[in-house]
Amino acid sequence: MVKIACFVEKYNFMDPDETGALQNFKLAASSMGHNFSFMFKEQISEIPRYDAIFIRATTDPLNTSYVVSKTAYELGLRVVDDPKSIQICGNKVHLYRLFEKYNIPHIPTMFLNKDEFHHKRIMNIFKTFGIPVVIKAPYTSFSKYVEKASCETSFREVAEKFFRRSDVLVVQKFMPTPFDWRVGVLNDEVLYVCKYTMRKGRWKHGSKLRGKPRYVWGRTVSLRKDHSPLKLREIALKACEFIGRGLYGVDIKEINGEYVVVEVNDNPSIYAGFEDCRKKDVYEKIIAYLAD
Amino acid sequence: MKTGYYVSLHAETLEDPVIPSSVDIIDANRVPVLLVRAAKAGILTAPYLVTDSVKQIISEFGFPVVLFPVNPFSFNIFKTAKNRSALYRAFKSLSMTYKYAVCAQPLMGEMISFKSIFGKCQLDEATREISERVYELFKIPICKLYVQRANGKSYLSAFHPLTMEEILPSDVRMVSEMIFQVSKKGEHLWLR
Repeated sequence: MVKIACFVEKYNFMDPDETGALQNFKLAASSMGHNFSFMFKEQISEIPRYDAIFIRATTDPLNTSYVVSKTAYELGLRVVDDPKSIQICGNKVHLYRLFEKYNIPHIPTMFLNKDEFHHKRIMNIFKTFGIPVVIKAPYTSFSKYVEKASCETSFREVAEKFFRRSDVLVVQKFMPTPFDWRVGVLNDEVLYVCKYTMRKGRWKHGSKLRGKPRYVWGRTVSLRKDHSPLKLREIALKACEFIGRGLYGVDIKEINGEYVVVEVNDNPSIYAGFEDCRKKDVYEKIIAYLAD
Repeated sequence: MKTGYYVSLHAETLEDPVIPSSVDIIDANRVPVLLVRAAKAGILTAPYLVTDSVKQIISEFGFPVVLFPVNPFSFNIFKTAKNRSALYRAFKSLSMTYKYAVCAQPLMGEMISFKSIFGKCQLDEATREISERVYELFKIPICKLYVQRANGKSYLSAFHPLTMEEILPSDVRMVSEMIFQVSKKGEHLWLR
């Protein structure tokens, strides 16, 4: 019997579908003879009592989840997400630099340093990528801190906001598609395949309604793994290869039959009735990996 | 993240030797990670607790207690609390109104801070040893270390990067001298 702690925060239980998925993990672990407990922030000091840690709270290299991951890693526990994956996927500058290094087909990308944030550079970006462009803060997650800019004024407004937490930003060519592929990868194997659609008139899977603080999401369409394009699955695996062998959600755009990687996410969303729709053994596979 | 982190990252991507590594920059800046790695390397460290519960801090450590932030927005800061109301105030501030966890340590004796330049400092032997070993572990050339002194022993407590204002001309001379010595001996190879 393996003792698995699932590090969560209160917000993980706000959405009934996410709560459902967490309960499914617990059920899967019990049916496989393992002990699965939820661990909150005040129980972090109990990490040494467990054999494996599964992080479901949002990851960030500067946040508590990284402390949990690194502590577990230093103590020799199996941990998903491992600290290296959090470090790479939690900083898009790091991720895109590695995409360039390992020739992973990705959206045309430039890096904007705080020191070169001036008129000439902005014009050069618009000239290279056309209008609009997408500006991403390195610490983006759940479609947050990703915004479009069509003129120098809006570019400056967005960049100044994002520069508060990072001296380098990511600027990308705007490539709208009706959906992004989401390929779930675990231990160098494709776990599930979905389409994350965009809401009508929107260009991101998650977006705010005008004047409302709450995020709304496009549909999630789950596909059978073997019904998805082979090339898509190959690119997803290649994109994860240099990061590690943990659990990832790879976002890919299909443009004129070609696939380009948008990003690789550690700690991918798994909601009951969505990502697991065509692949009910998602939970067992992740628990088996943790217990291995 | 600041420019220095991205410089290390860029060098690593190009497979050029660089100190400190991007991982060490992140780890040293998160107090609980600094302490878990330091303890694993045999450095004497202050006991700590990562939590979002004030009650847990009081029951585990009592008073006085030192709090460090563990969130993406607060750096180079800590607060000391000698009583319950001061602890609640410090906790509210460092947890960004109860949103994030904090790292708590009992204040066992006196807390001292000092500059460590390539692991060297001008203090007693126990503190010098901590400074050298932290440098060996994290390879961060210039930083400020916090150490708690109690019962005749020194315990590593925290790490802060130095601000430009804290770096004196004498420190710059020391850094230049160290780099000169390293390049003269061809010791740049240890970076690999």
